[in-house]
Amino acid sequence: MDKSNYINLGRQSGLMQEMRSVANNLANVSTTAYKRESAVFTEYVISLENNSPSISMSRIGAHYTDFSQGGQKQTGAPLDIAIAGDGFFSLNTPLGIRLTRAGHFIIDQEQRLVTIEGYAVLDETGGEIALPAGAADIAIASDGTMSAAGTPFARLGIVSSAPEKLTRDGDRLWRPLDGYEPAQDVRIQQGALEQSNVNPVLEISRLIEVQRSYEAGQFLLDRDDDRLRKVIEAIEQLR
Amino acid sequence: MESLRIAASGMAAQQKRVAVISNNISNMSTTAYAPRSVEFADLHYQQVLRPGTISSQTGTVVPAGIQLGTGVRLSAVTMSLEQGGLRESNGDLDLAIEGRGFFEITLPSGEAGYTRDGNFNRNAEGEMVTSEGYPLADGIVIPDDALQVSINQDGEVYAYFSNAVAAQQVGTIGLTVFSNPTGLEALGGNLYKATEASGSPVIGAPGQNGVGNMRQGFLEESGVDVVNEISDLIEAQRGYELNSKVITASDEMLSTMVRMR
Repeated sequence: MDKSNYINLGRQSGLMQEMRSVANNLANVSTTAYKRESAVFTEYVISLENNSPSISMSRIGAHYTDFSQGGQKQTGAPLDIAIAGDGFFSLNTPLGIRLTRAGHFIIDQEQRLVTIEGYAVLDETGGEIALPAGAADIAIASDGTMSAAGTPFARLGIVSSAPEKLTRDGDRLWRPLDGYEPAQDVRIQQGALEQSNVNPVLEISRLIEVQRSYEAGQFLLDRDDDRLRKVIEAIEQLR
Repeated sequence: MESLRIAASGMAAQQKRVAVISNNISNMSTTAYAPRSVEFADLHYQQVLRPGTISSQTGTVVPAGIQLGTGVRLSAVTMSLEQGGLRESNGDLDLAIEGRGFFEITLPSGEAGYTRDGNFNRNAEGEMVTSEGYPLADGIVIPDDALQVSINQDGEVYAYFSNAVAAQQVGTIGLTVFSNPTGLEALGGNLYKATEASGSPVIGAPGQNGVGNMRQGFLEESGVDVVNEISDLIEAQRGYELNSKVITASDEMLSTMVRMR
């Protein structure tokens, strides 16, 4: 087969993957603190024999996560916490420390502050946060200081890590590959949750673009098929 | 094709959200109803190319990698046990709790149930029972010849009789608290059951440590904020539509693929 078909096929399979990321973004349009992902097409060059010019092919080379902040939704619940700025809550999970921006927390039977999956939220020294027994009114200041009835008892550990050192683990968790440090310039907002940063309009326009590009690629393949057919017919007639 | 399945997971999640919203709206007038809210979580990621993978001999690394998502799931439906508003009902045996306590009820099975619905009545034996007829665990019996019943904010029940000036105490209603009330299991009929997640019930003295006080002649209103629910409903419906668009587009891509010569 011709090289042109291979170039086209590479593009087509890349578009299928991009469609998948559009689908995942739209499926997570209501997931707290979800960060949208998008595919990055890169070219790679292959050289041809006999000193002919090389050709470039395209493929999905990387995935890009958009870490921009989502909107805030006021819930009024005292243990719903949103982070404004670059930072994550640190959690103690059975698989090690994980980071999250989804701040919908509850209290477990041991009075610890945990996520709905039951992972303990850590304070600034890396210890679990236990709420004082019988604490009714929990207040959280913008620097993460938690107090009950006017007495501070813990400070939320907000950490940050470079985006390239984080992998997604699902369940809104991020795995730090190379440590993390205390976050700078973050503000904590009590009674609010960060919404998904997926912009449906943008995703739908990407969806249409992917679909039409796929059709265009298919059209090219069909035309190439016609061309080959005609070549074969011409050779037949020559015989 | 993955995108079909991913979009289907999105539609399923939004559909469950609509179910939760409709349950909230239909309980907008239920005494002491705790509104539920859904939480979604992204599913695990297929790690095609890990970030940090070495990409050359000189040790350069892939900065972002390729991680493909696989959809969304409903991760939790949480109860919001915020104090609802109080509505005056003037019923002698209507009680509202100002605080985070629960009344303990004895279920027909003998187990303990918990409720914040203080719409109590008297049964044939004079016992204080819920509207389903389940008695309060404190076993308050109001004598037939009592003219009036008064319950103070600490839960002490007094009965007045025609032949005596002073009121006579017939019992005390206690309140129970949980360390994690959102972990209670809802039984329907405004009743909850203790679970491992809620922690064991602790009997608290009314008026102390946020346990709460009782208000006679009031009932707690449902905590449902209808405006909030409707805006959530619109969001859920649009989310559902968006995901169905993905299904249509994926389907068309598939049919293009099938037509490949």
